[in-house]
Amino acid sequence: MIIINEDLCKGCHLCLFMCYKNVYAISSEINKKGVQLPFVKFEERCTKCGTCEVACPDQAITVDLPDNWWMDKDNDINFNPHFAKGRK
Amino acid sequence: MSEKTNRFLPYMRQDRLPHIFCPGCGNGAVMNAFLEAMEKAEMDFDNIAMVSGIGCSSRIPGYINCDSLHTTHGRALTFATGLKIANKDLDVVVFSGDGDAASIGGNHLIHAARRNLNITMICINNNIYGMTGGQVSPTSPKGIVATTAPYGNYDTPFKLAELVAGAGASYSARWTTVEMENLVLSIKTALKNPGFSFVEVVTLCPTYFGRKNNLKTPTAMAAVMKANTVFKSAAERMSEKELKDKIVVGEFANKQRDELSEVLEKFSIENSGGKTAVNSAYETEF
Ligand SMILES: Cc1ncc(C[n+]2csc(CCOP(=O)(O)OP(=O)(O)O)c2C)c(N)n1
Ligand code: SF4
Ligand code: SF4
Ligand code: SF4
Ligand SMILES: [Mg+2]
Repeated sequence: MIIINEDLCKGCHLCLFMCYKNVYAISSEINKKGVQLPFVKFEERCTKCGTCEVACPDQAITVDLPDNWWMDKDNDINFNPHFAKGRK
Repeated sequence: MSEKTNRFLPYMRQDRLPHIFCPGCGNGAVMNAFLEAMEKAEMDFDNIAMVSGIGCSSRIPGYINCDSLHTTHGRALTFATGLKIANKDLDVVVFSGDGDAASIGGNHLIHAARRNLNITMICINNNIYGMTGGQVSPTSPKGIVATTAPYGNYDTPFKLAELVAGAGASYSARWTTVEMENLVLSIKTALKNPGFSFVEVVTLCPTYFGRKNNLKTPTAMAAVMKANTVFKSAAERMSEKELKDKIVVGEFANKQRDELSEVLEKFSIENSGGKTAVNSAYETEF
């Protein structure tokens, strides 16, 4: 699943440029912030490569989070074994 | 919490988001690339200290939830040097813009490379002074229009990654924000490299560079950047003329040599029998 955070997206459309599978498209409507949001048009093409997540300058895209290695079984986002090993 | 969120948000100061960067500005993407590289390098997030100077790119540490120093324009490397020598175990990361690193901080840059202190520097090169309104920077390509070059820029730009490699850095590379995989792997190598590691990231400033140079949208800028990118190995076989306006990406230095904080520690142990760096405000004697 791909989620686009409407509060963070600034409508640069770099996700359309960066996705090599052309998963995204631009909506025709403008939201209240004046942003023409992208939307996921061809989800079945997505290979979960994660490029769009890294390339989105506004941290607005989430691609299948539970697949990330640092999520534990309960999908606890705060669980990251390397997040805090204690101060040296 | 089981709600799905972006994987970089847990590392960030979310109360400050959305950040101030313009739509399509490369700074946000470099921030993601750094966080991903940090995960890949299995770094201890709590042990990272970020240092930056002044500029749009230098605001990045302010959005990342770790210890950081936001210092004066061009002097990030000097503060970072002090920090690293005082506390050798910290992982010091410097974020800097092209103006910050190469014009006002140009001397600090080459001397930090010469001394080979173990810090990682990420230089976000948008070929312009973004924060102050689009003046030419030492990396602005010939012919571009900027606020201080209304008839086009006549100066020859610096090639930062080559410059830093020549000055003696043990790791130096250049990548762009349109090839994220290489950038992430390169930052990972830089973080792990024991010595001065420099990663130049050529990126987009749609607001000043793009608008003044007929590249109206971030995607248009990104397309031009992608078309102009040449790998180092291919560039070696190209003529000067063919390389005009091209961005040569690749690693320009990757060779270990003596590192400053180790050398200093060894020297002080040999000569005074202990560490000379005092990393406590309460301890005044060696
Ligand atoms: C000593 C000093 N001189 C000049 C300035 C004005 N100034 C602020 S940011 C900046 C340029 C920043 O350019 P760059 O480092 O390329 O960062 P960018 O905004 O492009 O990311 C300048 C000249 C300053 N803040 N301090
Ligand atoms: S890259 Fe991010 S900010 Fe830009 S349009 Fe896509 S979702 Fe929005
Ligand atoms: S994860 Fe990869 S394939 Fe899927 S939408 Fe993002 S860039 Fe496209
Ligand atoms: S002025 Fe340029 S560098 Fe600064 S935030 Fe805007 S796009 Fe980014
Ligand atoms: Mg700049």
